[in-house]
Amino acid sequence: MKQTPEMDSVQAEMAPGRISAAGFLGADQRRLADILSDDDAAVRRLGLTHQGIADRMRELREAGKSGLGEEVDVPPDHVVRIAGVRGKIPCPFHDGVFEKVNTIVRNVKSGREIVFTDLSVHMIEAHGFYEGRGSPFRNDPAVLAEVLGVRPAGP
Amino acid sequence: MLGAFLLAVGVAVAINLVLTGLILFAGATVGDYGECTVRVNGDREVKAAGGRSLLSTLKDSGIFIPSACGGRGSCGLCKVRVEGGGEPLATELPWLSKDEVKGGVRLACQVKVKGDLAIRIPEELLSVAQYEVEVASIADLTHDIKEVRLKLIEPGAMTFKAGQYVQFEVPAYKLTDEPVYRAYSISSDPVDRGAIELEIRYVPNGICTTYVHRHLKVGERVNINGPYGDFRLSDTGRDVIFIAGGSGMAPIKSMLLEMARTGCRRNAEYYFGARSREDLFLEDLMQRIEREMPSFRFIPSLAAPEGGDEWSGETGLVTDVVGRRAGDVSEKEAYLCGSPLMIDACVELLKKKGMPEDRIFYDKFS
Repeated sequence: MKQTPEMDSVQAEMAPGRISAAGFLGADQRRLADILSDDDAAVRRLGLTHQGIADRMRELREAGKSGLGEEVDVPPDHVVRIAGVRGKIPCPFHDGVFEKVNTIVRNVKSGREIVFTDLSVHMIEAHGFYEGRGSPFRNDPAVLAEVLGVRPAGP
Repeated sequence: MLGAFLLAVGVAVAINLVLTGLILFAGATVGDYGECTVRVNGDREVKAAGGRSLLSTLKDSGIFIPSACGGRGSCGLCKVRVEGGGEPLATELPWLSKDEVKGGVRLACQVKVKGDLAIRIPEELLSVAQYEVEVASIADLTHDIKEVRLKLIEPGAMTFKAGQYVQFEVPAYKLTDEPVYRAYSISSDPVDRGAIELEIRYVPNGICTTYVHRHLKVGERVNINGPYGDFRLSDTGRDVIFIAGGSGMAPIKSMLLEMARTGCRRNAEYYFGARSREDLFLEDLMQRIEREMPSFRFIPSLAAPEGGDEWSGETGLVTDVVGRRAGDVSEKEAYLCGSPLMIDACVELLKKKGMPEDRIFYDKFS
């Protein structure tokens, strides 16, 4: 994938202190095009799609709403808590502003827990962006697939 | 050949020098706005070098406008009315209503001070100050909520109203290269002016909550500023319903401590929602307040009690319990604190049960 001038501009927005204190790239020194390309390849290797992963994230987020901010069981394997914090955050790709809502999902079988935001769901769905390595809110596609129980779409 | 090469190099160097000179000249003149005056509420003047954001300019002069995002335009809290302040930027529009745009409201972090300005802010913000505080104690209230007691060092006392909040400054550490601020309600009795208590729930990856839960130590000195907010108990004398969950306990606890100390006789019911027994806290304190204030009832509920919880109290979501027990609420008023989901559900329920919306007060974590 070629790094376009638009991607340069988006990547600059992702630096620490621009949109958020920690930024979206962590310690990752790769160009945005390479980050997107590598994660896209990882998702394909898993037999999944960005849309399928985002759909599962949204499904668990919606199920977690019934806990009214406390943990709620989402059978068969998950416990979910929705934690809203003050404020909104714009997407670094300049296509939306999102409430700062964290969805905390624990897989009771494996004991593994991950956190994702409403902005994460959007960036995966619309841009295939999972954040750079070392970014506090990066969720590796393989980790998302395992913890959330994302399955390849049937034939 | 060599002569031509040297000439080319000489020309390139000369062009670079001219361009550098132009950039330095522009920096010193075009970007130099000189000393600017910001007139606050018509009578107070702040003088500062122009070119910085209005939020930073005011902060450096001891005027603290609430901001939870460090001036990135992403929290929408730092609203001020700027007289003749120009059109809002695109970054501000998601936060401003049509009436606010018409009335000259801007986000202070997005307004660059380039000349003299006149602004209007709520009078109470003029009494907000920055405090150096020392961590006196850190206690586990639950597995993910800590109570942090902060002794005020300089200034040594704060006057606040029960229900108000402060902003806690997280210093630069591994999750942030620069200090950031987060808002937390004060949970202690306002009569205790030399210290305040906060109840902080861990949010995985949260910059401030991770700092407080994993790094903050007793004896450490940090900065806070405040107090802010108008979430306060009215003096109407009406019966009160409090509803909270998790660290939403904080401002309600502050209100109850004050009510108990002052011998308040208002009827009050406090519905507190938790998932299981391990998420329930301060039961002893609530029972003590019940003894001191006979008109008060604490009604905790567990949404999903564990097998070993031995729970004989209310079960279900806090909304279920309010629905079952609150009776006629049409003449009461309500104070809610917790997650936006809980607040929204409770507001809907109370309205359905006949409580006028203007008697429902809340502090939403959003």
